[in-house]
Amino acid sequence: MTATLTFGPPATSPGRATFTALAARETRRLVLNPVFLFAVAFIVFVLWAGPDAGITEIDTSNPYPAIFLGGFGMMATYWLTRSMRASEPVVGVTPVTQPARTAALCAVALVPFACGCLALLRFVQLIPVSSPLYGPFSPSARVAVLVGQIVVPALGGPLLGVALGRWVRFPGAAFVLFLVLYGWVSLVTIVTMAYPDSALVAVLRLFAPFAFFTLHSDAGGVTAWRGSPWFFIGWQLALCAIAVLVALLRGAEGPVRSRIIRTLAIAGVAAVILLMLAATGGFTHAVTA
Amino acid sequence: MVGPVLRAGAWPAVAGVSGVAVVVGGCGVAFPAAATALFPICFALLAAAAAFTLDEPASLVVDVTPTGPVRRTQIRAVALLAPLAAGALVMVAAAMRGLALPWASAGLALAGNVLLGFAAACVVRTRTGEPGAAVGTAVVLVLMAPSLVPQVARWVRTFPVPGADGPSSDPVWWIVLAVCVVAIATSVSRPRLRRARPLLAGSIWRRPA
Repeated sequence: MTATLTFGPPATSPGRATFTALAARETRRLVLNPVFLFAVAFIVFVLWAGPDAGITEIDTSNPYPAIFLGGFGMMATYWLTRSMRASEPVVGVTPVTQPARTAALCAVALVPFACGCLALLRFVQLIPVSSPLYGPFSPSARVAVLVGQIVVPALGGPLLGVALGRWVRFPGAAFVLFLVLYGWVSLVTIVTMAYPDSALVAVLRLFAPFAFFTLHSDAGGVTAWRGSPWFFIGWQLALCAIAVLVALLRGAEGPVRSRIIRTLAIAGVAAVILLMLAATGGFTHAVTA
Repeated sequence: MVGPVLRAGAWPAVAGVSGVAVVVGGCGVAFPAAATALFPICFALLAAAAAFTLDEPASLVVDVTPTGPVRRTQIRAVALLAPLAAGALVMVAAAMRGLALPWASAGLALAGNVLLGFAAACVVRTRTGEPGAAVGTAVVLVLMAPSLVPQVARWVRTFPVPGADGPSSDPVWWIVLAVCVVAIATSVSRPRLRRARPLLAGSIWRRPA
């Protein structure tokens, strides 16, 4: 009796199939996380209710997605990542490497990112880009301001949570970092009110995952602070890439590790360049319109 | 008795979060214009630090020792001195810098924040041995709600703001203090870890010889 074995390409790559299954499982865990559910419910309520009648500029109503999808999303993914620590001795001996599991965790950030995109569309519907509430920015810069304040933080916050969960053991790290970032953004915004034309203060204001670009002027109108919203998006995306790479670095070995470190260095340099371009581009001084 | 119970406390977490709070409060002192934004963050961090004082990684063993929860909670309450001292340090620095804050109300808010974190930890400690992370997060989110969502600040304020319109924070904190005292008294009178005990009793102590 003879047996004939036929070899051919599998329908899908086993690595990709495993990654897809892991990512689907982690995504299911995220969307059932009570903190994330609360954040999404709050954003839905805020965007359904619409901005206050007496709104004077966009920055009074657009930080909510960054706080709730980004900040709360960071806490949710941090817990998601940490919750696997207890089962690490069992999970660690499976054929799936830790970087592959980390990549699957990073993939869940697509959910808050999609929520951020929907929030942006609803925000533009509530306050059209042609509204004077955006200040003296050009129409494309207005879109960039919104993308940088609504969509990218919704992506970056959860990615930061995964990186934090991979490297930090302290269980309260997520809320401490959330408060530190919130305090930093508040501090540099208040300092910018006092020194709106300072280049150094502009760098400090943009040296954050979220930044305000406008302020209601007491004399009437909206003041746009210095800085380029487009390059700021580049800086934010560089931060996202750094968060992913730092998360993937945990457990990476051999050539993969050296490749991640090399890419991390490139991303770091790109982040610095983009931060400088963000601070020096756009308006070179505060402009009121 | 006191020494081992205190040594087993989550001192790195309590001291670390209190340290971050001092840094945030210090920035508020250095930049007085930002004080009303940064001091609530500082106080929320101190409340979170207080939530870690009851963390007990060995709770499955500790909870069946003859030392009762009242005594253990009393000893661990000593650790509250760290966040209280950190808050007092920030307030003294702010006073020396000449910040015009309602100091009595700020002191009440500091005590209320720290006691709220501790009381919430006492309540959750009856269910789990390490309530710090979950309670800290919950307390921070509750305390920061007026800052994160300005609409909430129209109804409730957790930090006194000089000369501001809107509700005062004092009634909130007096009510919180009273509720916290009741919650602590109730929680320490209960047996600890009601869910974990049967598991422990069945799996270890009643193992057949």
